Amino acid sequence: MKSNTAAFASVAPAFAVTGFVLFSPVVYALWFSLHEIRYGSVGAFDGGANFLRLLQDYTLPGTLLRTVIHTGLSVLITVAIALAISVGIDRMKPRAALVAKMVVILPWITSAVVATLLFRWVFINDIGVASYAVSSLVGAEFQPMTNSTGAMTLLIFVSVWKRLGYAVIVLLAGLKSIPSECVEAAQVDGATPWQVFRLITLPLLKTPMLLVVVVLTLANINTVETPLVLTGGGPNDATRILALDVYERAFAIFDLGSATALALVMFAANIVMVLAYVRLTGWRV
Amino acid sequence: MQPDAPRTFAPAPRVSVARRSATLSTQTLVLALVVLLIVLNGLPFVWGVLTSMKSEQDLFRFPPAFFDFEPTLDNYRRVAATGFLGNMLTSFAYCIVAVFFVLAIGLPAAYAFDRYQFPLRQPLFLLIVASIPLSIGAAALLIPTYIYFARLGLTNTFFVLPMIYAAHQLPMTIWILKGAIESIPRELDEAAIVDGVSRLGVLRHVVLPLSRPALAAASILAFVGSWNEFVAGSVMVDSPGLKPIQPLVYSFIGFFGREWGPLTASATLAMLPILLIFILFGRQFVAGLTKGAVKG
Repeated sequence: MKSNTAAFASVAPAFAVTGFVLFSPVVYALWFSLHEIRYGSVGAFDGGANFLRLLQDYTLPGTLLRTVIHTGLSVLITVAIALAISVGIDRMKPRAALVAKMVVILPWITSAVVATLLFRWVFINDIGVASYAVSSLVGAEFQPMTNSTGAMTLLIFVSVWKRLGYAVIVLLAGLKSIPSECVEAAQVDGATPWQVFRLITLPLLKTPMLLVVVVLTLANINTVETPLVLTGGGPNDATRILALDVYERAFAIFDLGSATALALVMFAANIVMVLAYVRLTGWRV
Repeated sequence: MQPDAPRTFAPAPRVSVARRSATLSTQTLVLALVVLLIVLNGLPFVWGVLTSMKSEQDLFRFPPAFFDFEPTLDNYRRVAATGFLGNMLTSFAYCIVAVFFVLAIGLPAAYAFDRYQFPLRQPLFLLIVASIPLSIGAAALLIPTYIYFARLGLTNTFFVLPMIYAAHQLPMTIWILKGAIESIPRELDEAAIVDGVSRLGVLRHVVLPLSRPALAAASILAFVGSWNEFVAGSVMVDSPGLKPIQPLVYSFIGFFGREWGPLTASATLAMLPILLIFILFGRQFVAGLTKGAVKG
């Protein structure tokens, strides 16, 4: 019994903090979203009016579609490139591998604001080095930010660039845990490198790969900074994705009612990812 | 006859030639990818720092100047004039406090989850694991949290951000530390307890020294995560003195407009601590990310 008290005393502070900051606002928001909200003060109960208003919002389908496109393509491209890079780094000597890893994770450990700002300055600004290089190489003007496809392409590019390091680190750890006997046995049997990769490495990487997909999906759905700094949602809402929409509804046009309702929709999507994550980690105590 | 001579006549060599050229082309591909990555990842940082030291004329020079310009600290002076350095200290204090609490709360919790048997142990640990992705998606919770905290009168206080940062980093820290404690043999604890050391003493004299690498990795991760946080920092506090660094850099985009000199100077200052940690503790940094990353 004494040890029970000690155990609970040891874990209680952790749950006090996470419970208060991460969980209690959700409960509050559920209650809050069912009320009329004006300038941050809670008014009368009005059922699902906030959600109903959301359903009638003609901008919402477009925002959801853009969110799916942005997240889907970013995750897909990140995983594909990370797979190639991590297989490459896995074959390097330890020192070279460390340097390669450090280069790869550089954008990831930089804050999204700073990384996106610098990216914007170097690669897309009209007086930046990249546009100079492109215009002197191709002879054409390089202005991707003026059309909607170009802006979305860039947003996806930056999202991939920013989070590639995370995917590489996880996949590398996954590659390290593949027993070398498996690969050697296949090689002895005359498998080509491509066959080894496709039939041995890839299936054994399934769990870390799914983990990467889940975490990247979460990170991309919930990113406010990247579109905010890169495009501000423009041109003409072309890069207004869900997280940015929620953020601006709340803190730019102060429509807290629809923002809260939309945030809860976003939170529901997060919960699906959280459940997948919990399954994949194979946690045990 | 050489042992491998017969193979010259067998079809095997053709396969191996094909294989060699295949690996050669993949090697070239990987090399090209690595070079491209170095350019894509390195250039923004190098070019950003260079830009921050350029005068107005050098900045708008065409073609752009790489190293043949007169370096100046004018941009940094202009950024410093806004009180940016004070906010860097504020941010630094937030992160240190958050890291301290994360370790102080996380280590006993991790120890209890690994060494004690108690009711609800599994569901409680499940909650910790689930909180790791939950804090990645913290942007969804931002508005409820903001309104909730505003009602409780917690917004615009000096402790609201360290508290939020600690809550965001805590689940991951517990996960990393629990992994480290798992690998410490239980016999060590038991021997100490037989010798009359209390549980707290075991934590302090056995677990703490042996999990130092994990503690370092977890602190680095928690510090970097807190330093880079933007959304909570941008809405939870209003007073200029309480603002952390990331929202300030963002607000400079509106403030300095197209003046990329001061903008890149503020960006350089904002990534300085992270780059310092990165350069000084590169290996531990990568190790910490790996520890945390596999599991989250």
